[in-house]
Amino acid sequence: MKRSFLALIALMFPIIAAAQIQLGGLDRTTEAKKQHVELITDSLQLTANKPQDVELRFRVEPGFHINSHKPKDELLIPTELKLEPGSFHIANQQYPAGSRFRLQVGNGEDLDVYQGEFRVALRIEAPKGDSTLSGSLRYQACDNAACFPARTLPVKIAVTAK
Amino acid sequence: MIALIGVLFWAGVHNLRHRRALADANHVPLIKAAPASDNSGPPDAEGSNLRGKDAPAFTLSDISGKKVSLADFKGHPVVVNFWATWCGPCKLEMPWFQEFSSKYKGQGLEVLGLSQDDGASPDDVASAAKKIGVTYPILMPDEAVAKKYGGVDYLPETFYIDRAGKVVEVTAGAPSKEQMEALIQKTIAAGGA
Repeated sequence: MKRSFLALIALMFPIIAAAQIQLGGLDRTTEAKKQHVELITDSLQLTANKPQDVELRFRVEPGFHINSHKPKDELLIPTELKLEPGSFHIANQQYPAGSRFRLQVGNGEDLDVYQGEFRVALRIEAPKGDSTLSGSLRYQACDNAACFPARTLPVKIAVTAK
Repeated sequence: MIALIGVLFWAGVHNLRHRRALADANHVPLIKAAPASDNSGPPDAEGSNLRGKDAPAFTLSDISGKKVSLADFKGHPVVVNFWATWCGPCKLEMPWFQEFSSKYKGQGLEVLGLSQDDGASPDDVASAAKKIGVTYPILMPDEAVAKKYGGVDYLPETFYIDRAGKVVEVTAGAPSKEQMEALIQKTIAAGGA
Protein backbone atom coordinates (compact mmCIF):
# COMPACT_ATOMS: atom_id res chain seq x y z
CA MET A 1 0.00 0.00 0.00
CA LYS A 2 2.79 2.34 1.03
CA ARG A 3 4.75 1.43 -2.11
CA SER A 4 1.72 2.17 -4.32
CA PHE A 5 1.25 5.51 -2.63
CA LEU A 6 4.89 6.45 -3.19
CA ALA A 7 4.60 5.37 -6.84
CA LEU A 8 1.54 7.61 -7.22
CA ILE A 9 3.44 10.54 -5.73
CA ALA A 10 6.39 9.88 -8.03
CA LEU A 11 3.99 9.86 -11.00
CA MET A 12 2.25 13.08 -9.98
CA PHE A 13 5.36 15.08 -9.14
CA PRO A 14 6.55 15.72 -12.72
CA ILE A 15 2.99 16.57 -13.79
CA ILE A 16 2.66 19.19 -11.08
CA ALA A 17 6.17 20.47 -11.75
CA ALA A 18 5.34 20.79 -15.45
CA ALA A 19 2.21 22.75 -14.58
CA GLN A 20 4.30 25.07 -12.44
CA ILE A 21 6.68 25.77 -15.31
CA GLN A 22 3.75 26.44 -17.64
CA LEU A 23 2.15 28.88 -15.23
CA GLY A 24 5.43 30.51 -14.39
CA GLY A 25 6.59 31.64 -17.78
CA LEU A 26 7.28 28.90 -20.28
CA ASP A 27 4.20 29.97 -22.22
CA ARG A 28 5.59 33.47 -22.53
CA THR A 29 8.97 32.23 -23.69
CA THR A 30 7.30 30.07 -26.29
CA GLU A 31 5.20 33.02 -27.44
CA ALA A 32 8.24 35.24 -27.72
CA LYS A 33 10.03 32.73 -29.95
CA LYS A 34 7.13 31.78 -32.20
CA GLN A 35 6.89 32.59 -35.88
CA HIS A 36 4.49 35.27 -37.08
CA VAL A 37 4.61 34.22 -40.74
CA GLU A 38 3.70 30.86 -42.23
CA LEU A 39 4.44 29.33 -45.62
CA ILE A 40 1.22 28.38 -47.40
CA THR A 41 2.73 26.87 -50.54
CA ASP A 42 3.90 23.38 -49.67
CA SER A 43 4.24 21.83 -53.13
CA LEU A 44 4.73 22.75 -56.79
CA GLN A 45 3.85 20.76 -59.88
CA LEU A 46 6.07 21.76 -62.78
CA THR A 47 6.98 20.72 -66.28
CA ALA A 48 10.53 19.41 -66.21
CA ASN A 49 13.39 21.39 -67.71
CA LYS A 50 11.19 24.31 -68.69
CA PRO A 51 11.34 27.79 -67.07
CA GLN A 52 8.00 28.59 -65.42
CA ASP A 53 6.57 31.43 -63.36
CA VAL A 54 5.39 30.42 -59.91
CA GLU A 55 4.27 32.20 -56.76
CA LEU A 56 5.24 31.25 -53.24
CA ARG A 57 2.46 32.19 -50.83
CA PHE A 58 3.05 33.35 -47.26
CA ARG A 59 0.64 34.52 -44.58
CA VAL A 60 1.31 37.02 -41.78
CA GLU A 61 -0.44 36.26 -38.52
CA PRO A 62 -3.55 38.41 -37.92
CA GLY A 63 -2.81 41.45 -35.76
CA PHE A 64 0.78 41.69 -36.96
CA HIS A 65 2.61 43.24 -39.89
CA ILE A 66 6.08 42.74 -41.31
CA ASN A 67 8.18 45.21 -43.28
CA SER A 68 7.89 44.88 -47.04
CA HIS A 69 10.95 44.08 -49.14
CA LYS A 70 11.48 47.83 -49.51
CA PRO A 71 10.59 49.53 -46.20
CA LYS A 72 10.51 53.31 -46.16
CA ASP A 73 13.10 53.66 -43.43
CA GLU A 74 16.62 52.37 -44.01
CA LEU A 75 16.80 51.29 -40.36
CA LEU A 76 13.94 48.84 -40.75
CA ILE A 77 14.63 45.20 -41.60
CA PRO A 78 13.27 44.21 -45.04
CA THR A 79 11.53 40.94 -45.74
CA GLU A 80 13.88 38.78 -47.76
CA LEU A 81 13.48 35.33 -49.30
CA LYS A 82 16.68 33.39 -49.88
CA LEU A 83 16.35 30.18 -51.91
CA GLU A 84 19.06 27.57 -52.34
CA PRO A 85 19.21 26.86 -56.09
CA GLY A 86 20.48 23.28 -55.73
CA SER A 87 19.40 21.51 -58.89
CA PHE A 88 16.97 24.31 -59.78
CA HIS A 89 17.55 27.31 -61.94
CA ILE A 90 15.89 30.28 -60.22
CA ALA A 91 15.57 33.72 -61.74
CA ASN A 92 13.56 36.90 -61.62
CA GLN A 93 12.53 36.75 -57.95
CA GLN A 94 9.94 39.51 -57.42
CA TYR A 95 8.39 40.77 -54.22
CA PRO A 96 4.95 42.35 -54.04
CA ALA A 97 4.55 46.03 -53.25
CA GLY A 98 3.81 46.69 -49.60
CA SER A 99 0.71 48.37 -48.26
CA ARG A 100 0.59 51.53 -46.16
CA PHE A 101 0.29 50.99 -42.43
CA ARG A 102 -0.03 53.87 -39.98
CA LEU A 103 1.84 53.21 -36.75
CA GLN A 104 -0.40 54.65 -34.04
CA VAL A 105 2.17 55.89 -31.54
CA GLY A 106 2.24 59.61 -30.85
CA ASN A 107 2.03 61.49 -34.15
CA GLY A 108 2.37 58.16 -35.91
CA GLU A 109 4.44 57.08 -38.86
CA ASP A 110 3.60 55.54 -42.21
CA LEU A 111 5.19 52.16 -42.82
CA ASP A 112 5.34 49.97 -45.93
CA VAL A 113 4.32 46.50 -44.82
CA TYR A 114 2.90 43.10 -45.66
CA GLN A 115 -0.22 42.00 -43.81
CA GLY A 116 -2.31 38.91 -44.38
CA GLU A 117 -1.25 36.93 -47.43
CA PHE A 118 1.59 37.99 -49.71
CA ARG A 119 3.22 36.23 -52.65
CA VAL A 120 6.79 36.18 -53.91
CA ALA A 121 6.98 35.46 -57.64
CA LEU A 122 9.89 33.72 -59.30
CA ARG A 123 10.87 31.97 -62.49
CA ILE A 124 12.06 28.46 -61.89
CA GLU A 125 13.31 25.54 -63.94
CA ALA A 126 13.34 22.13 -62.30
CA PRO A 127 14.92 18.82 -63.32
CA LYS A 128 12.67 15.83 -63.91
CA GLY A 129 11.55 13.97 -60.81
CA ASP A 130 10.84 14.76 -57.16
CA SER A 131 12.97 17.28 -55.31
CA THR A 132 12.78 19.89 -52.55
CA LEU A 133 13.10 23.63 -52.95
CA SER A 134 14.71 24.94 -49.78
CA GLY A 135 15.51 28.33 -48.37
CA SER A 136 14.45 30.81 -45.73
CA LEU A 137 12.38 33.93 -45.28
CA ARG A 138 13.81 36.61 -43.01
CA TYR A 139 11.29 39.07 -41.63
CA GLN A 140 10.67 41.31 -38.66
CA ALA A 141 7.18 41.47 -37.17
CA CYS A 142 5.43 44.12 -35.10
CA ASP A 143 1.95 44.87 -33.87
CA ASN A 144 0.62 48.39 -33.24
CA ALA A 145 2.67 49.02 -30.12
CA ALA A 146 5.81 46.89 -30.20
CA CYS A 147 8.11 44.66 -32.21
CA PHE A 148 9.75 41.26 -32.09
CA PRO A 149 13.34 40.71 -33.21
CA ALA A 150 13.85 39.47 -36.77
CA ARG A 151 12.99 35.82 -37.34
CA THR A 152 13.97 33.31 -40.02
CA LEU A 153 11.23 31.06 -41.36
CA PRO A 154 12.53 27.86 -42.96
CA VAL A 155 11.13 27.30 -46.46
CA LYS A 156 10.75 23.76 -47.82
CA ILE A 157 8.58 23.04 -50.84
CA ALA A 158 8.11 19.64 -52.47
CA VAL A 159 8.61 19.96 -56.23
CA THR A 160 7.38 17.39 -58.73
CA ALA A 161 8.56 17.96 -62.30
CA LYS A 162 7.27 15.72 -65.08
CA MET B 1 4.69 14.24 0.52
CA ILE B 2 1.01 15.20 0.70
CA ALA B 3 2.08 18.52 2.15
CA LEU B 4 4.56 18.93 -0.70
CA ILE B 5 1.85 18.31 -3.31
CA GLY B 6 -0.40 20.74 -1.48
CA VAL B 7 2.29 23.42 -1.48
CA LEU B 8 3.01 22.90 -5.19
CA PHE B 9 -0.68 23.11 -6.03
CA TRP B 10 -1.14 26.24 -3.93
CA ALA B 11 1.94 27.81 -5.52
CA GLY B 12 0.51 27.14 -8.98
CA VAL B 13 -2.79 28.81 -8.15
CA HIS B 14 -0.99 31.70 -6.46
CA ASN B 15 1.32 32.10 -9.46
CA LEU B 16 -1.63 32.28 -11.85
CA ARG B 17 -3.45 34.82 -9.67
CA HIS B 18 -0.27 36.88 -9.41
CA ARG B 19 0.18 36.96 -13.19
CA ARG B 20 -3.43 37.96 -13.70
CA ALA B 21 -3.00 40.75 -11.15
CA LEU B 22 0.12 41.94 -12.97
CA ALA B 23 -1.71 41.95 -16.26
CA ASP B 24 -4.55 43.95 -14.73
CA ALA B 25 -2.10 46.42 -13.21
CA ASN B 26 -0.22 46.97 -16.45
CA HIS B 27 -0.75 50.59 -17.46
CA VAL B 28 0.14 50.00 -21.08
CA PRO B 29 -2.39 48.07 -23.09
CA LEU B 30 -0.79 46.41 -26.08
CA ILE B 31 -3.19 47.39 -28.81
CA LYS B 32 -3.73 44.97 -31.64
CA ALA B 33 -4.03 45.98 -35.26
CA ALA B 34 -7.01 43.71 -35.61
CA PRO B 35 -9.01 41.34 -33.46
CA ALA B 36 -6.67 38.51 -32.76
CA SER B 37 -7.03 34.90 -31.82
CA ASP B 38 -5.81 33.72 -28.44
CA ASN B 39 -2.45 32.61 -29.77
CA SER B 40 -1.62 35.75 -31.70
CA GLY B 41 -1.14 38.16 -28.85
CA PRO B 42 2.13 39.53 -27.62
CA PRO B 43 3.67 37.93 -24.58
CA ASP B 44 3.58 39.63 -21.21
CA ALA B 45 6.77 41.42 -20.42
CA GLU B 46 8.68 38.77 -18.50
CA GLY B 47 10.48 41.66 -16.86
CA SER B 48 7.21 42.50 -15.08
CA ASN B 49 8.34 39.93 -12.50
CA LEU B 50 10.92 42.53 -11.44
CA ARG B 51 8.28 45.01 -10.29
CA GLY B 52 8.94 45.85 -6.63
CA LYS B 53 12.38 44.21 -6.71
CA ASP B 54 15.89 45.61 -6.93
CA ALA B 55 16.78 46.53 -10.50
CA PRO B 56 19.47 44.12 -11.76
CA ALA B 57 22.89 45.76 -11.80
CA PHE B 58 24.74 46.21 -15.08
CA THR B 59 27.79 47.84 -16.59
CA LEU B 60 27.74 48.47 -20.33
CA SER B 61 29.71 50.46 -22.88
CA ASP B 62 28.08 53.52 -24.32
CA ILE B 63 28.38 54.42 -27.99
CA SER B 64 31.67 56.20 -27.31
CA GLY B 65 33.11 53.18 -25.50
CA LYS B 66 32.77 54.64 -22.00
CA LYS B 67 31.65 52.22 -19.29
CA VAL B 68 28.32 53.12 -17.71
CA SER B 69 26.87 51.34 -14.67
CA LEU B 70 23.38 51.51 -13.27
CA ALA B 71 25.10 52.02 -9.91
CA ASP B 72 26.47 55.34 -11.22
CA PHE B 73 22.95 56.73 -10.88
CA LYS B 74 22.27 55.62 -7.32
CA GLY B 75 19.94 58.11 -5.63
CA HIS B 76 18.37 59.11 -8.95
CA PRO B 77 15.11 57.95 -10.50
CA VAL B 78 16.21 56.10 -13.64
CA VAL B 79 14.36 55.04 -16.77
CA VAL B 80 15.97 52.02 -18.44
CA ASN B 81 14.57 51.78 -21.96
CA PHE B 82 15.38 48.75 -24.12
CA TRP B 83 15.08 49.68 -27.80
CA ALA B 84 16.44 48.81 -31.25
CA THR B 85 17.10 50.74 -34.43
CA TRP B 86 14.69 48.47 -36.34
CA CYS B 87 11.82 49.04 -33.88
CA GLY B 88 9.34 51.62 -35.19
CA PRO B 89 7.43 52.18 -31.91
CA CYS B 90 10.75 52.63 -30.08
CA LYS B 91 11.75 55.44 -32.41
CA LEU B 92 8.43 57.19 -31.88
CA GLU B 93 8.53 57.09 -28.07
CA MET B 94 12.23 57.93 -27.60
CA PRO B 95 11.83 61.68 -28.28
CA TRP B 96 9.38 61.73 -25.37
CA PHE B 97 12.06 60.27 -23.08
CA GLN B 98 14.36 63.01 -24.36
CA GLU B 99 11.77 65.66 -23.58
CA PHE B 100 11.04 64.29 -20.10
CA SER B 101 14.73 63.86 -19.25
CA SER B 102 15.02 67.64 -19.69
CA LYS B 103 11.72 68.46 -18.02
CA TYR B 104 12.48 66.41 -14.89
CA LYS B 105 16.23 66.94 -14.81
CA GLY B 106 15.85 69.13 -11.74
CA GLN B 107 14.29 66.17 -9.93
CA GLY B 108 17.23 63.98 -10.80
CA LEU B 109 15.69 61.94 -13.60
CA GLU B 110 18.14 59.93 -15.70
CA VAL B 111 17.26 58.05 -18.88
CA LEU B 112 19.37 55.22 -20.27
CA GLY B 113 18.69 53.72 -23.71
CA LEU B 114 19.87 50.12 -23.97
CA SER B 115 20.20 49.16 -27.61
CA GLN B 116 19.24 45.61 -28.55
CA ASP B 117 20.87 45.77 -31.98
CA ASP B 118 22.96 42.63 -31.87
CA GLY B 119 25.81 42.85 -34.33
CA ALA B 120 25.42 46.57 -34.97
CA SER B 121 28.46 48.82 -34.60
CA PRO B 122 28.46 51.67 -32.07
CA ASP B 123 28.60 54.06 -35.04
CA ASP B 124 25.41 52.58 -36.51
CA VAL B 125 23.61 52.86 -33.18
CA ALA B 126 24.95 56.38 -32.61
CA SER B 127 23.80 57.40 -36.07
CA ALA B 128 20.30 56.05 -35.40
CA ALA B 129 20.13 57.77 -31.99
CA LYS B 130 21.14 61.05 -33.61
CA LYS B 131 18.50 60.62 -36.30
CA ILE B 132 15.86 59.92 -33.65
CA GLY B 133 17.03 63.00 -31.78
CA VAL B 134 18.09 61.67 -28.38
CA THR B 135 21.15 62.77 -26.44
CA TYR B 136 20.78 60.73 -23.23
CA PRO B 137 23.25 57.84 -22.77
CA ILE B 138 22.83 55.07 -25.32
CA LEU B 139 24.38 51.77 -24.27
CA MET B 140 25.45 48.86 -26.46
CA PRO B 141 23.80 45.43 -26.25
CA ASP B 142 24.73 42.64 -23.89
CA GLU B 143 22.57 39.54 -23.94
CA ALA B 144 23.39 38.79 -20.30
CA VAL B 145 21.90 42.12 -19.22
CA ALA B 146 18.76 41.59 -21.29
CA LYS B 147 18.44 38.15 -19.69
CA LYS B 148 18.60 39.68 -16.21
CA TYR B 149 15.69 41.91 -17.23
CA GLY B 150 13.54 39.00 -18.34
CA GLY B 151 14.84 38.38 -21.85
CA VAL B 152 13.49 41.56 -23.46
CA ASP B 153 12.12 39.69 -26.48
CA TYR B 154 9.55 42.36 -27.17
CA LEU B 155 10.48 46.01 -27.81
CA PRO B 156 10.23 48.65 -26.55
CA GLU B 157 10.43 47.47 -22.95
CA THR B 158 10.99 50.01 -20.19
CA PHE B 159 11.85 49.73 -16.52
CA TYR B 160 11.11 52.66 -14.21
CA ILE B 161 13.53 52.51 -11.27
CA ASP B 162 13.20 54.67 -8.16
CA ARG B 163 15.94 56.42 -6.17
CA ALA B 164 16.29 53.37 -3.94
CA GLY B 165 17.02 51.16 -6.95
CA LYS B 166 13.68 49.35 -6.94
CA VAL B 167 11.71 48.69 -10.11
CA VAL B 168 8.52 50.72 -9.78
CA GLU B 169 6.92 49.90 -13.13
CA VAL B 170 7.58 47.86 -16.25
CA THR B 171 6.02 48.46 -19.64
CA ALA B 172 6.19 46.43 -22.83
CA GLY B 173 5.14 48.28 -25.95
CA ALA B 174 4.96 52.01 -26.49
CA PRO B 175 2.62 53.83 -24.09
CA SER B 176 0.95 57.15 -24.80
CA LYS B 177 2.98 60.22 -23.94
CA GLU B 178 0.63 60.94 -21.02
CA GLN B 179 1.05 57.41 -19.67
CA MET B 180 4.81 57.71 -19.95
CA GLU B 181 4.88 61.00 -18.04
CA ALA B 182 2.61 59.59 -15.33
CA LEU B 183 4.98 56.64 -14.90
CA ILE B 184 7.95 58.99 -14.67
CA GLN B 185 6.18 61.12 -12.06
CA LYS B 186 5.31 57.99 -10.09
CA THR B 187 8.94 56.88 -10.26
CA ILE B 188 10.22 60.26 -9.10
CA ALA B 189 7.76 60.23 -6.19
CA ALA B 190 8.70 56.71 -5.15
CA GLY B 191 11.78 55.70 -3.20
CA GLY B 192 12.04 58.87 -1.08
CA ALA B 193 13.30 62.31 -2.03
